[in-house]
Amino acid sequence: MKSTQMIIDKFQISNFKKEGSLKVRVGTLVIFILLISITSPSSFAQDLRITGSNRAEYWLFVDSRLDSANYKDHITEKLKLSLDYKDITLRGIFFFWDPSLHSLDKLYYIDYAAQYKKDPVNIMYGRYYMTFGRGLCLNQFLDEDFNNDNSLYGLKAELNGFKSQLTLITGKPRNIFFEELQYTIKNDTTDKVRGANLETRILNFNNPWGLNTSIGGRYVRIHKTNDLTPKAFTELFGGNINLKLGPWENYFEYAQHLGTIPKVGGRLKGDGYLFTTGLSLSGFGISLQYIDYKDLGFGGAEYRYNEPPTPIKSGISVNRGVDEVGYGVAIVASPFDFLSVEIDNNKVSTHNKNLSRFEELFYLKENMGGVLEQGAKAITHPTELSEISFGVDHIIKQKIELPVQKKTETKPYLELQYDFGTFFVEAGLEQTMVTSDTSDYTDRAASISIGKPERFVLTLRAEKRDRVPTWLIEKLGEETFWPMLELSLDLTTRHNLRLRIGGEKGGLVCSGGVCRFEEPFRGVKAVLTSIF
Amino acid sequence: MKQDNRSITSFAVSSRKRNRDLQYRPWIALCILFVFVFAHAQEKELPNAPDFTLQDVDGNTVCLDSLLKKGPVFMSFWALWCKMCIKELDALKPYYDEFDSLGLQMLAISQDKARAVPKVKPFALSHKWKYVVVLDPDNIMRDLYNVQAMPTSFIINQEKKIVFVHQGYKPGDEEIIVEKVRCLAGKNCKGDCKGKCHE
Repeated sequence: MKSTQMIIDKFQISNFKKEGSLKVRVGTLVIFILLISITSPSSFAQDLRITGSNRAEYWLFVDSRLDSANYKDHITEKLKLSLDYKDITLRGIFFFWDPSLHSLDKLYYIDYAAQYKKDPVNIMYGRYYMTFGRGLCLNQFLDEDFNNDNSLYGLKAELNGFKSQLTLITGKPRNIFFEELQYTIKNDTTDKVRGANLETRILNFNNPWGLNTSIGGRYVRIHKTNDLTPKAFTELFGGNINLKLGPWENYFEYAQHLGTIPKVGGRLKGDGYLFTTGLSLSGFGISLQYIDYKDLGFGGAEYRYNEPPTPIKSGISVNRGVDEVGYGVAIVASPFDFLSVEIDNNKVSTHNKNLSRFEELFYLKENMGGVLEQGAKAITHPTELSEISFGVDHIIKQKIELPVQKKTETKPYLELQYDFGTFFVEAGLEQTMVTSDTSDYTDRAASISIGKPERFVLTLRAEKRDRVPTWLIEKLGEETFWPMLELSLDLTTRHNLRLRIGGEKGGLVCSGGVCRFEEPFRGVKAVLTSIF
Repeated sequence: MKQDNRSITSFAVSSRKRNRDLQYRPWIALCILFVFVFAHAQEKELPNAPDFTLQDVDGNTVCLDSLLKKGPVFMSFWALWCKMCIKELDALKPYYDEFDSLGLQMLAISQDKARAVPKVKPFALSHKWKYVVVLDPDNIMRDLYNVQAMPTSFIINQEKKIVFVHQGYKPGDEEIIVEKVRCLAGKNCKGDCKGKCHE
């Protein structure tokens, strides 16, 4: 009994220590805000600028996979603050995510950065994001709309001059993902990334042809303690050339990977190519992207520091950095003021040695993993106050979502909007027909919104699935109906409150004037965003 | 012993929950409330707009100071995947010539990541946007202006003060932006402009 009491005491101490440290951090932040607010009137006169934003999110929901009787809640809080004084900027971010489910770990962090910027020098220490070229060598980015935070912590220096920019970096990477209703840090490692990037427009010509060119070169090196052969550094190097001729623009990037073969050791070699070309005219635009790489992935199995880009619209990658080949074509045209048309045809797949390069690029054979996306959309304005948009998306996913081998989605949709001046009405209909190798189902959705500019938008949306295939039950449960009521309220132009009640199937949702990626959900959500 | 272990686990869980509920949440609630009040008070102020230097889709350098020499600046954060952002920029298209005559510089700041960059210029030109379209794949501008939702638009006056911030877009919101711009130029303002110009 004595030992039990000791364990309890020990737990209490460690728990209070942990809780106490967070309490102190949060307290420090509140005091920090109080101090700057008190000093702000006089500070403004002294060129001190204080700005920031806040996003607070509260969920009250039921997770049928865990317990249908008890409601759970989540709090997410993200506060950003910036202090600028002449050429110096201090930036701080406080992030806090607290789920009520004790099976999930809460996440909190305080990020900061200090920056000195005066042409031609820009030096930053702290948390930062960096993409070299189009991302073949290094792509550490923040995607707040999709809760994907890939950052570096360390030093970044930029030097500008002679139509060139030299960037030097050193930092410890941190990749945070939000999936399956929780945040996870995928690379809790001691990895260290160092790199240099040079972009120059020194070969620019002033000529009647509008011929312009720029080139770039880069080198990235990673230090990993778990490499079996530490002398064989993991490194990527490459370059790019950009050539513009009037409205026609071409870009080519190459990267080579020299690293340690995971778990086995020895030298791993890989390379990758990216080519894009585009024609931009008033009323017409076409862009073509091509990608081909093998063993270019830089990082661990679940995370990448370079994240080679995919040429498809949804950004799905079949086998990030291991081997992929694909292309994407996008055509956008507005032949008349009242009509615009968009057409997309994109494909990405794993390499297949049995096929020729041409076949590999265009065909999706049964034994290959891949995604084929096709879409067509038209937007018309029959009158100045009305808008009709309609289209169809067709997606084939092969060996992407386990346990389904092949899934085909076809989604026709129609949206109508009429602006009465003092208020507007928007209505939408869509149908998603899903065919898979195991079973088929159809989702039908209808929505109607009424809104007043700069005041509110009230949306009612309902979606129904005709049947649930067994493979989907494990992932999303047996839900077949998602009714949802949303009120988006502009408290002022700088404060927006969004209240959602009902069920969400998940995915990219645009409503109340804002687009976000939503996780599957059933319950109540309140989101307050402020900017100051 | 088994019962002891169960009581420890039960105590640990309930203690953790209680601590979390009692200790963090009031701080968070206080923080949110304070930020709300602070942010509301800040609205009365006219903060300076942070300086920036960006590349437009043609590779030209665009900086705030050179834009402000020509007139006030309107800028909107958008992305190819953001329907509402595109609707906002399309809705402002008919006012471009009027804004241009008032000296307003219009900037569309693309938040598309590096992989989508090649599509930005063809998309903007095909939509017949005359705005200066700049690229921000590393979200430097989004951090600088503390943007939390897409789209968000700003108007900066020639004294380099942010005089208007607007989050999101709903059909009809463009009228408010138009009113602000006309106000700023001192032209065609409906009613009393004084309060509206310095929100």
